Amino acid sequence: MDKKKKKDEYLENWKRERASFLNYKREEGERIDKVIKFANQSLILEILNILDNIYIAEEKLPKDLEENEWVKGILNTKNQILEFLKNQRVEQIDCLKKEFDPNFHEAVEMVESNSKSGIIIKEIKKGYILNGRVIRPAKVKIAK
Amino acid sequence: MAKILGIDLGTTFSATAIIENNEPKIIENREGTRTTPSVVALTKNNERLVGVTAKRQQITNPQNTISSIKRLLGRRFSDKEIQNDKKLLPYEFKEASDGGVEVKMGDKWHKPAEISAMILQKLKQDAEEKIGEKITQAVITCPAYFDDSQRKATKIAGEIAGLDVKMVLNEPTAAALTYGLTKTKGQQILVYDFGGGTFDVSILDVTKDPDTVEVIGVGGDTHLGGDDFDQKIMNWIIEEFKKDQGIDLSKDQLALQRVKESAEKAKIELSTTLETEINIPFVTSDSSGPKHLFFKLSRAQFQDLVKEYIEKSIKLVEETLKGAKLKPKDIEEIVLVGGQTRTPAIQEAVKNLFGKETNKSINPDEVVAMGAAIQAGIMGGDAKEVLLLDATPLSLGIETLGSVNTVLIPKNTIYPVNKTQIFSTAAEGQTSVEVHVLQGERPMASDNKTLGRFMLDGIPLAPRGVPQIEVSFDVDSNGILNVSAKDKATGKSQSIRVEGSIGMSKDEIEKMKQEAQIHEQEDKKKKELIEAKNLADNLIYSWEKTSKDAGDKIDENLKKQVEEKIDELKKVKDKDNIEELKSKTNDLSQIIQKAGAELYKKTKDDKDTEEGEYKKK
Repeated sequence: MDKKKKKDEYLENWKRERASFLNYKREEGERIDKVIKFANQSLILEILNILDNIYIAEEKLPKDLEENEWVKGILNTKNQILEFLKNQRVEQIDCLKKEFDPNFHEAVEMVESNSKSGIIIKEIKKGYILNGRVIRPAKVKIAK
Repeated sequence: MAKILGIDLGTTFSATAIIENNEPKIIENREGTRTTPSVVALTKNNERLVGVTAKRQQITNPQNTISSIKRLLGRRFSDKEIQNDKKLLPYEFKEASDGGVEVKMGDKWHKPAEISAMILQKLKQDAEEKIGEKITQAVITCPAYFDDSQRKATKIAGEIAGLDVKMVLNEPTAAALTYGLTKTKGQQILVYDFGGGTFDVSILDVTKDPDTVEVIGVGGDTHLGGDDFDQKIMNWIIEEFKKDQGIDLSKDQLALQRVKESAEKAKIELSTTLETEINIPFVTSDSSGPKHLFFKLSRAQFQDLVKEYIEKSIKLVEETLKGAKLKPKDIEEIVLVGGQTRTPAIQEAVKNLFGKETNKSINPDEVVAMGAAIQAGIMGGDAKEVLLLDATPLSLGIETLGSVNTVLIPKNTIYPVNKTQIFSTAAEGQTSVEVHVLQGERPMASDNKTLGRFMLDGIPLAPRGVPQIEVSFDVDSNGILNVSAKDKATGKSQSIRVEGSIGMSKDEIEKMKQEAQIHEQEDKKKKELIEAKNLADNLIYSWEKTSKDAGDKIDENLKKQVEEKIDELKKVKDKDNIEELKSKTNDLSQIIQKAGAELYKKTKDDKDTEEGEYKKK
């Protein structure tokens, strides 16, 4: 009787181990699916840092250079990056004149302004969403 | 059984973990990150925010955004620390009727435990969402220096959040649990925890009983942390730019923001590289046009910048040791906790003080939460019926052609395990093979430990490479290795049993691993050379075989050319010049291919003729 009990116990444990392995395999599969979905995240974040600088260069461009063909050509590379990001399902977060929402925006400063309090009056750094997840909040200035 | 959540409730960040398949696993929060800022806020619309969203709006709402609440938890208002913190924290707080502290958020006054409860509640909800189960029980960690009142407040916070707090566990003990250090009786463990804003040292003692951990020393500085490091780099960048361009960036909010981000990035990069670039184009502008910021910061420079903080931490460790009447040599194990311990200079400084390696392989931001989960697992019985399985400490393999160690079971393979691989003979008409069983990480057989050897004979006469010898390694649940070799043609087999081979002493294993590391480069070269020699050998052999089979189908002239190349190759083969060997092998291979192509063409032509003849008949 004791032997049978032992045997059953071992068989049960073995089945459990087998089941937990199969469950683990399934869960791991689901995890990998998710990992793949966001696998590019860190790479995209690095590219966004570079894109930020192009935006800043564009913003600081002197008026008299705006029509310069050389400058236009260089800025066209920015559009290429934007196109690439779009294909990677990266969306930009809308900011200007919107109400501040900490789910998408990060406040860096509050300033006096004619706008209603809590409205975004300047975007300092663009924010992005990848596959529905905010991978970088927009850094903004908001009205006091 | 219901899961018990392990929670690291930190000053700046919190994390949660749970036992899954007998392993602690960090739970991602709803935002998809593995740590959650310990920040709570109430917006103007009376909406409560916890975590990263609360942090993002901090600047717009400083009075109603509560951070670092752990500094106030369970404290009396009259405590010296509270009076100091009052100057640093942007929100309002006052003495409660019971002598404790109350903080103001919105119109209401809250006890610190209530604020902590809001953080715990979010952690609980996110974990429930993630694992799809209701969570009602938790193990929460706290610093070793927390007194009764602070521990009680931690427990109350959990209860307010709807958690039955099974235990308030010391953070250093949790870290030691994660590294499995509490199993060995007679150990003293030092935990060096350098976080974002606080630095803690704790000494643990496991001398009474295994699994009974006593804290015998605590020390640290509640206002020393990784943020100081960032600030140092920022100041350095601003100073350098001032020297370089004469412009003060500290007045420019936007530039400051970019400098801050670059400083954080530089710090992280310098943990893995020796030099980093700090590159901020268009950082500012003056009448002459735009200004760009570009500096290189070396790891040595960085270490020099933060030297004072590291030295301070080491001094605090020494003081803590002294307080516990211990010397560095009395400490058996050192555990590194907190993100800042990724800095190589810190790792070095700690290692130098104790003269031994530290435990740092587990993510230092997560090691405490994982320990809490392990403790939760023990209490919930998750770990009770666990089959403890061990892993092979070193690789197991056999010696193959050219004295190479061919690994069958790599190190860190969990056993029982069985691995089989087919090998063959190295010489023409070889009738026996020797199976030389090896243990170790070095690629050359002779540099490893011999576990045993045996002969398999009676292999039928055959060209080299033809016989199929199946070698099978089996490590059973007791760590006993069985190696067998079987000739597939005759079914003849031989085997050997190696007992007690897996369980080497820790020192011996460490020594072998270190040797492998030290010799990695030269070993790689040696192995490459042998592989090149083997390749040359094979090429010569296959030519000899082909030309014999082909007879006069290969043009004499071409044959002569090949023979010449073979002679050349043979001349360099026994010298140890890998470049020459490779180039001669390549020469030979090319001309053999040419011969091969010709042979193929001829055979085809012959066939055509034969067929033609056949048709004629």
